[in-house]
Amino acid sequence: AEKWDMPMAYPASNFHSEVGAEFGKCVTDGTSGDIEIVTHPSGSLFPGAQIKRAVQTGQVPIGERLMSAHQNDNVLFGFDSIPFLASSFDASGILWEVAKPAIEKALADENLTLLYTVPWPPQGLYFKDEVNSVADMKGMKFRSFNNITTRLAELMDMLPVTVEAAELSQALATGVANAMITSGATGYDSKVWESLNFYYEVDAWLPRNYIIVNSDVWADVSDANKAAIQTCAAAAETEGLQRSKDYTDFTLNGLREGGMYVGPPSEKLAADLKEVGEVLTDEWLKDAGEEGKAIVDAFHAKAD
Amino acid sequence: MENAAIIILFLFVLFTLLGTGVWVGLALMGVAWVGMELFTTRPVGDVMLTTIWSASSSWTLTALPMFIWMGEILYRTRLSEDMFKGLSPWMAGLPGGLVHTNIVGCTVFGAVSGSSAATLTTVGKMSIPELRKRNYPEHLVIGTLAGAATLGLMIPPSLTLIVYGVTVNESITKLFFAGVVPGIILAAMFMGYVAIYSVTSKDWNPDVEEKISFGQKIKNSRFLIPILLLIVVVIGSLYLGYATATEAAAIGVVGALVLAAVQGSLDWKSFVQSLMGATRTSAMIALILAGAAFLSLAMGFTGLPRGLADLISHWDLSRFQLLIVLLVFYIILGCFLDGISSVVLTMAVVEPMVRDAGINLIWFGIFVVVVIEMAQVTPPIGFNLFVLQGMTEHEMGYIAKCAFPMFLLMIIMVFLLIAFPEMAMWLPDNMDKRLN
Amino acid sequence: MTIGRVLRLSLDFLYRLSGAMAAVSLVMILLLVVMQMAARWTGEMFRGGAEYAGYAMAAASFLAFANALNHGSHIRVSILLNAVPEPIHRILEIWCFAVGTAIMWYFVYYGQKFVYWSWKFGERSQGQDGTLLWMPQSLVLFGATVLAICLTDHLFSVLFYGRSRIVRNLADQSHGE
Ligand code: NA
Ligand code: NA
Repeated sequence: AEKWDMPMAYPASNFHSEVGAEFGKCVTDGTSGDIEIVTHPSGSLFPGAQIKRAVQTGQVPIGERLMSAHQNDNVLFGFDSIPFLASSFDASGILWEVAKPAIEKALADENLTLLYTVPWPPQGLYFKDEVNSVADMKGMKFRSFNNITTRLAELMDMLPVTVEAAELSQALATGVANAMITSGATGYDSKVWESLNFYYEVDAWLPRNYIIVNSDVWADVSDANKAAIQTCAAAAETEGLQRSKDYTDFTLNGLREGGMYVGPPSEKLAADLKEVGEVLTDEWLKDAGEEGKAIVDAFHAKAD
Repeated sequence: MENAAIIILFLFVLFTLLGTGVWVGLALMGVAWVGMELFTTRPVGDVMLTTIWSASSSWTLTALPMFIWMGEILYRTRLSEDMFKGLSPWMAGLPGGLVHTNIVGCTVFGAVSGSSAATLTTVGKMSIPELRKRNYPEHLVIGTLAGAATLGLMIPPSLTLIVYGVTVNESITKLFFAGVVPGIILAAMFMGYVAIYSVTSKDWNPDVEEKISFGQKIKNSRFLIPILLLIVVVIGSLYLGYATATEAAAIGVVGALVLAAVQGSLDWKSFVQSLMGATRTSAMIALILAGAAFLSLAMGFTGLPRGLADLISHWDLSRFQLLIVLLVFYIILGCFLDGISSVVLTMAVVEPMVRDAGINLIWFGIFVVVVIEMAQVTPPIGFNLFVLQGMTEHEMGYIAKCAFPMFLLMIIMVFLLIAFPEMAMWLPDNMDKRLN
Repeated sequence: MTIGRVLRLSLDFLYRLSGAMAAVSLVMILLLVVMQMAARWTGEMFRGGAEYAGYAMAAASFLAFANALNHGSHIRVSILLNAVPEPIHRILEIWCFAVGTAIMWYFVYYGQKFVYWSWKFGERSQGQDGTLLWMPQSLVLFGATVLAICLTDHLFSVLFYGRSRIVRNLADQSHGE
């Protein structure tokens, strides 16, 4: 029997971690104990930022990572984080379908094999004050944590302020930031209603977590066990998607109960954001070249 | 019984390396290396580098050298002396005299800094020389400092509470509020201990401060103005949203430099000395942190902390029994791991256990912080012991002995928390009413 | 000058150089954090400030390790060391420096591999700085190498001259007088 330690970045109670744990159990049973997967949630083994490299270099055989965090390494990994390109679970599914071959190839180049991927709930806009158009946002302090969110702030005429995840609650409470974009789930988990009042379901993008395995390790797995693992992976992917949808509803209700306004953006705001989205898609395409263009074109052909 | 073998091996290697005098940070790396080589098939060297790089290059860690540097500057200027000139007339009348400055200093500084090492070095750098000059019993000076510095973890802002809050998905704001009252009560208990000790002890013989009139006391208080100003600026920047908890440390350094320049008490030579001193002290702590990060990763790979927590979850315990078992569990883990690691490594198993028992997770956060505070002062791996050894040249065993009364007071604090949960819950509950 | 003398001077220079680089890194942390705050107050953006400060933190630590060792700042449990008679003390010192030397050269060996792979993968920071990580990692590797050399230096010193060259710097402690 072989023990596979599987680092995961999010708390044990997060649905991604729960699905991962069930996947682990499924693999342990399905391979009759040949491969025992032990999950380590909360970044307790490796923090999120180190997981990809740890799997790549065989420090652990398997792990979970938000792949768009690595778009500095490869622009393609950012395909799921283009604001306002695919803004629903269905659209995100189509986008993934058309991007999958290119992403799997990019992962293979990095010695990684993809097992399954689960989208996060859609990203929405949080504000302290009511906002009905991009013009209303002028001068607000927008929490940014990567290039996209910084660029988004600039395009929406807000001041991007860098706040690390660990300091988010305090920064919102003391007014270091008074606007941000993140999923309803993260907002719910961080109890942001203590500081913010408005949540607009703009469904900007649905980033994905990937369960990846080291390709050398994968090559050594017997065919029977490979099949068993892939069966578990397919089940986890379906289960994860469903949980993500359920959790979206649950957390939005939670935000409401916390006293926040939760609802769709005004028509004006939606139209403004669509424009912002087009600018950002063009910018991404400039960096992502032919491969990126193929993904976006295929997506539009299927989705529109 | 694999667990028993792992425990014995870890202990044997740890005590051999530490006991023979291998530098603490390197010894921890050695223990982790042995553990990983024996219990995993993973490439140990690569894992070591990934972990140590990731732990050493963290943004939140930068507050530590900044606060240490601030302490070095204050220590090398007239500021710390002035602070004692201003405080001593007021404190001298209390039973226990100036030892209280240790505790009050740590409590106030705890409101600025999120870590206990930063609190310890900043306050200790100023207070140890002054208290020694006045012949206060060394063990009391060291002990109160080791104990009170842990208040940096409980009194907001607190790195430990942030990590705990993120791990169990609870409101960090509420956790911060919950820490305030227990932090002040714990400080009061430390001060009570000092007062009782000073009255009952035979070796209590510090230099008597000159008796001065009330008017003179007020006049002497002018010496406090610069340092108070510095504290107000740092805390203010934090609560008015000008700085995050990490950035506040840099404001402290700039403030200390400005004060020193205004006083004219910092020349180029002492500036360089303060800088080199801060560099070495933070390097000392960084080497230990690097070793501890690797050790905690090795523990994660062996699955030992989680295995033990799992074991506890299978006992059928009442709520009180569970808390007592967890108290003992974390005290034992705290001997070998730093506080944050023991939270992160065990919470996946402990959190559901605690929730099932119907224990409030905010309250439990404060419980965990007290227990982690204890871990800071228990040998063989206790960060405050390490830092104090670096500052005073005393042996770790001696420092641990000095801190033992504070350790006992923290145990009493845990039982107080269990008996009177409102201590932690009153503020966050009422804050909640105001918000809704 | 003899070769030994030249070697001695170059080693001491190396330790001081590394220490000075560490001090500069510490000042860099201060400047970076202040710049990040100032940028926010004035509505500007300082991309990657937090990441740069993190690299400076790692550099400040590793570059100072050897200097801190020479000044006796790294702490150890010395109860046994102080209790035993001189010949055993010397054996214990040899053991400690040998263990330390072995661990640090092990670290350096995997460290160069680590940095090499960062360079080979072209691994970039995940933050807004997008820094190629081998650059800050090289500073860490340099600091670790200097510490490994320094430990080796002390080991030889104990082996051939009976004592290490660590000098406690009293200004670093909080003695009253
Ligand atoms: Na604090
Ligand atoms: Na301890």
